[in-house]
Amino acid sequence: MEFLKINHLKVYYPIRGGFFRRVNDYVRAVDDISFELRSGETYGLVGESGCGKTTTGRTVIGLIKATAGEILLEGKDIAKLSSREFSRYRRDIQMIFQDPYSSLNPKKRVLDIIAEPLRNFERLSPQEEKRKVQYFVEKVGLHADSIYKYPHEFSGGQRQRIGIARALTLNPKLIIADEPVSALDVSVQAQVLNFMKEIQKEFQLTYLFISHDLGIIRHMCDRIGIMYRGQFVEEGTSEEIFNNPQHIYTKRLISAIPNADPQKRKEQLALRKQVEEEYTNSFHQYFNHDGKAYRLKRISETHSVAIL
Amino acid sequence: MKTELNHSQQTEIQIEKSPSSLSILWREVVKDKLALVSMILLALILLVVYGSAIFLDQEKIVKVDLLSIYAPPSSEHWLGTDYGGRDIFGQLIIGARNSFTIGLAITLISCLIGLIVGLVAGYYGGVIDNIIMRVIDFILVLPFLMLVIVFVAIVPKYNVFTFILIMSAFLWTGKARLIRAKTLAERELDYVSASKTLGTPDWKIISREILPNLSSIIIVNLTLNLAGNIGIESGLSYLGFGLPESTPSLGTLVSYATNPDVLQNKWWVWLPASLLILVMMLCINFIGQALKRAADARQRLG
Ligand SMILES: Nc1ncnc2c1ncn2[C@@H]1O[C@H](COP(=O)(O)OP(=O)(O)O)[C@@H](O)[C@H]1O
Ligand SMILES: [Mg+2]
Repeated sequence: MEFLKINHLKVYYPIRGGFFRRVNDYVRAVDDISFELRSGETYGLVGESGCGKTTTGRTVIGLIKATAGEILLEGKDIAKLSSREFSRYRRDIQMIFQDPYSSLNPKKRVLDIIAEPLRNFERLSPQEEKRKVQYFVEKVGLHADSIYKYPHEFSGGQRQRIGIARALTLNPKLIIADEPVSALDVSVQAQVLNFMKEIQKEFQLTYLFISHDLGIIRHMCDRIGIMYRGQFVEEGTSEEIFNNPQHIYTKRLISAIPNADPQKRKEQLALRKQVEEEYTNSFHQYFNHDGKAYRLKRISETHSVAIL
Repeated sequence: MKTELNHSQQTEIQIEKSPSSLSILWREVVKDKLALVSMILLALILLVVYGSAIFLDQEKIVKVDLLSIYAPPSSEHWLGTDYGGRDIFGQLIIGARNSFTIGLAITLISCLIGLIVGLVAGYYGGVIDNIIMRVIDFILVLPFLMLVIVFVAIVPKYNVFTFILIMSAFLWTGKARLIRAKTLAERELDYVSASKTLGTPDWKIISREILPNLSSIIIVNLTLNLAGNIGIESGLSYLGFGLPESTPSLGTLVSYATNPDVLQNKWWVWLPASLLILVMMLCINFIGQALKRAADARQRLG
């Protein structure tokens, strides 16, 4: 049995307007996607801004209600649970947020921030609680005394580590990381990412890793799903996606990765031009007349592409 | 053992290093000279008013004494007497105490209602918010002054408590709107989402996560409203729809000035009360403005 299986998930946001704020139309933020996560792997969701990655992640963790479809966590559908029933699965799924500034309450000390989940689920004495919080604070590479400080006394990278410590306290199985480093300086991005890899081994975590940056995805992920306007256009192992991309949209994303090597810049520029040309010429081969992708078709055991 | 001691000392220093937003607000206001003077003056007035009110006998003060009608200030009656020979100074002290207490009570009650309603509407949104906002809209279109006058006429036992309740019933709406708007903005922030994913129940998110982030807005609004509410009480009493004459208030004293003879020739009846209202409202307003500036500046600085 798969650890997490998403079946035909749809999330529509109503657009209200006019008299009595009636629902006029829907934003089809996530429009029928299916994928699965195996225990211990890192699954990457990639796509340009607005393609529905955040919505997918937040629906899996229950912050947004699914319009249709199933979310099976170890075989149990958690998509249709009421929030009270959901609380049993709360501990298993945690989230690392994109913005390290707004995701920590500025009025709370680090101790109270990290102890929040403990206070909800465990009855600990203040000493035990403090010891546990300090353990996680040191685990994420901060000084034990940090627990008496407020978030504004930390840098972005440190704040993100506090957020990670908070997510770890309940011993979750799945962590949804929604662009966890996109708000950080490039110099600290690698630090935080490598740290996430370390704790993945130590705590046996499964990651649903969301990013618009293919370079980061390549560094982190075992398998990857490419999203375009609420749908998948390609899915495969990291190897397959980067070495043998099939969909034109995937090729375009990959060709847009900046290359650090100046010698190869010219080469890449030529490649980018070529892909761009192919994209305009063969658009209708890959998208229907509404500009939507076709259904995924399996081309190998692990590799699927949305083509006719 | 020694290291542990050291440790707790360090933590104490760190707790000092991170002052709460309220103490920052306080520091900013104290730096403002006008606000500081206002604060000291207001504290003095309140000290005198509440201090000497303990020693004054309200029964004796409101008792009519026909032998000393409209007596000018003297050593016996420091601020003279009114048309019933009642001591103005005594009425001024008791009246100021009543007016301030009533203003404060109205402010606190309406703030509490507005806070709860605003937080609930803003946090849950949707249908709950819609219903609450329609109710508030309805209350806001009611002619406030006219209804208060009607209430005064129909409520059989009209006293300080009914007055406070009637006023609060109207005045919570503005506060509720303000708090709702702020809550709407606050709940979109990720720390609220984080609390949800950490299994924190809604009432706790509202009271322990969102509410502390609204504290400076609440303090500022409370202060500015207090000035207004003292004014409202005096205004209504002046119009004759406030408190009964047996309960001295600043508004009642000022209303004696409707008699042209009193207005022109007997300044001691109405002038002290008018000045006291003016000074109190100005002081509170200056403090409120300074708080507002401090809160805004803090927001700008992040
Ligand atoms: N609360 C919302 N109400 C209406 N539309 C929304 C809401 N949140 C997101 N959307 C829309 O849904 C689409 C997907 O958004 P999102 O999941 O945030 O994308 P991504 O994370 O990939 O940038 C976007 O078109 C966005 O405008
Ligand atoms: Mg996003």
